[in-house]
Amino acid sequence: MAVTSLDPYTTLGVPKDASTEEIKAAYRRVARRLHPDVNQNNPGAGVQFQDVTVAYELLIDSERRRTYDMQALRRHGGEGYYFSLRVTPSKRAIVPLPEPQVVYLLAEILPDPRAREENLKRESRLNLTLVLDHSNSMNGTRLDKVKVAAHQIIDQLSEGDILSVVTFNDRAEVIIPATPVDNKNALKAKISMMNASGGTEIFKGLSAGVDQNRRYLGPRLVNHVVLLTDGNTFGDQDNCIELARKAAEQGISISAMGLGQEWNDEFLDQLASTTGGTSSYINSASAVVKFLNNHVRNLSNAFAERVRLSIAPDPDVRLESAFKLLPHPQPLTVDEAYLQLGSLQANRSIAVLLQVQLPANLPLGFRSVARLVAQGDILVNQNQQYQSLSDISLEVNENPPPEDPPPVILDALGKLTLYRMQERAQEALASGDVKEATRRLENLATRLLAMGEEELAHQARAEARRVAHTSNLSDAGRKTLKYQTRFLLLGPSNEDSSL
Amino acid sequence: MILCPHCGYKNLEGVLFCEECGQNLKGGNAVLPTKQLDQAANELAAKATWGTARFGQDASIIMHIRDMPSPVIIQPAKKTILGRADMNSPQKPDIDLSPYGALDKGVSRIHAAIMRNEDTLTLVDMGSANGTHLNGQRLVPDQPRILRDGDEIRLGKLVAHIYFK
Repeated sequence: MAVTSLDPYTTLGVPKDASTEEIKAAYRRVARRLHPDVNQNNPGAGVQFQDVTVAYELLIDSERRRTYDMQALRRHGGEGYYFSLRVTPSKRAIVPLPEPQVVYLLAEILPDPRAREENLKRESRLNLTLVLDHSNSMNGTRLDKVKVAAHQIIDQLSEGDILSVVTFNDRAEVIIPATPVDNKNALKAKISMMNASGGTEIFKGLSAGVDQNRRYLGPRLVNHVVLLTDGNTFGDQDNCIELARKAAEQGISISAMGLGQEWNDEFLDQLASTTGGTSSYINSASAVVKFLNNHVRNLSNAFAERVRLSIAPDPDVRLESAFKLLPHPQPLTVDEAYLQLGSLQANRSIAVLLQVQLPANLPLGFRSVARLVAQGDILVNQNQQYQSLSDISLEVNENPPPEDPPPVILDALGKLTLYRMQERAQEALASGDVKEATRRLENLATRLLAMGEEELAHQARAEARRVAHTSNLSDAGRKTLKYQTRFLLLGPSNEDSSL
Repeated sequence: MILCPHCGYKNLEGVLFCEECGQNLKGGNAVLPTKQLDQAANELAAKATWGTARFGQDASIIMHIRDMPSPVIIQPAKKTILGRADMNSPQKPDIDLSPYGALDKGVSRIHAAIMRNEDTLTLVDMGSANGTHLNGQRLVPDQPRILRDGDEIRLGKLVAHIYFK
């Protein structure tokens, strides 16, 4: 697939003047690690194995290799933009132990430093679809605020951006078909006519929205669907996820925003992380305007789109979890071949924290842990597909030099731990263990208080009590804890830009 | 294996924050400074423990006196005095326990009182000779104690169970 952007030399880890023998040896070495037979539970390795094979077949064929080298020379003549992948492990040397051990990897995708200045002039073009819930429950302030937000978004869009708007309750209606933005007032007038009625069926709205977005789907565009809902959908969630998966394959990302208390957070989280979008909790109607506006502003700042990461741990290493820290904290599922990361902004990096488990009784010496490949489409490049590769290795040593975990990892993990704690409390509750859930919430409250997050600590404490007495969390409390602890990851300095 | 210094949970080597309680396993203080959560949380605590202590507007007390066939039903006023009526005493209790063998069991003339608050009841010993016990614990005179559904009270040797209805 990504053949054209793939640098076969990097993929195999050989120098440009490598001999055929060296290439063969390198291929055997890499293929042994990535071969599907030894990586059956590891879809990331599968896709990387294909890449390696493609690279090998290219380089081993002297005719094709010569053609490639010549083309590469020409390509490097042009001023292509790039992004880089930087991976920092929590430690570089580990002690062999008779038990498994954990290592954290911080993977950062950094935009081309040149893009930061230049992107100010050249905004990426948007292909934006708003999918807005106008069911009965949206009546009043909520719908009013959504209208205000939509109006402001229209004002923000520039000529050449493409907008479509779909409203839905138990059926969907395309109120603005996908069209380049020109007459803003006419568009706004259509928004103003929305009124609330009916129930909530997300699939209908979402499929109509994706449909509209697809009409202008283009590699030079940021293709994005924003779903805003305040309700729960019944029976069509699986269809929605399937739809999202297909949309992601075509390069459309979906962000989901839940307003109020009644919506299903797990569903919206999954919907968003399947496509590399984000999911957010908007607790009051008045926050909607700011939220949507910031979201769209970030979109128009995109440097690369459809950014994704494939992770191939060595056969004896287990990838336990992945969490996107930046630009917007989002849990990721590790059972797909690619972690969809959405768009890379020109002025902010993407950071993902991975937790891997190494087996017991490691032999001494250097060993590889995983190969990470970041892929994405750089919007302004002639040849858009770009990828960056990183092989991570550690030293196994009886007496490793003392080292402190990098502060970035420590800091991120400290906050991520809080998010995990509320997650585990909810898991305990879901499995009916009220005592365990209560204890975990109390622990969470203690930690939050120690961090100076008094308000959240109160909330955790109150929810702990509620769980102890009613065996249930309140809807508002559950969502607040989940999204606020997730939000802590951004740190106070980022509060505004990240909303 | 790393034992968490805060909660004792066994974490795998390499874990930086306890997976159970969130303790920083690389340095970091194992003993957290004690902080008091302010009023809001405490009020909530009080509310949460009510359950059995709550005494509604129209509720009444059913007092089962041991070895007596039928219970005494009390509609408590702001202050309901339990005791033993005596010809020689000018003060009369609101609930006269004489028919239940109060004299033999050492109940004072003015023995104890049930006070009615907004939606709880308290029991207070009025300085009785032989004392008032709540769930086996002797009350200090004039110090009210919350009275809950199902409590056992003892006035002298007279034992009774209190139920709310």
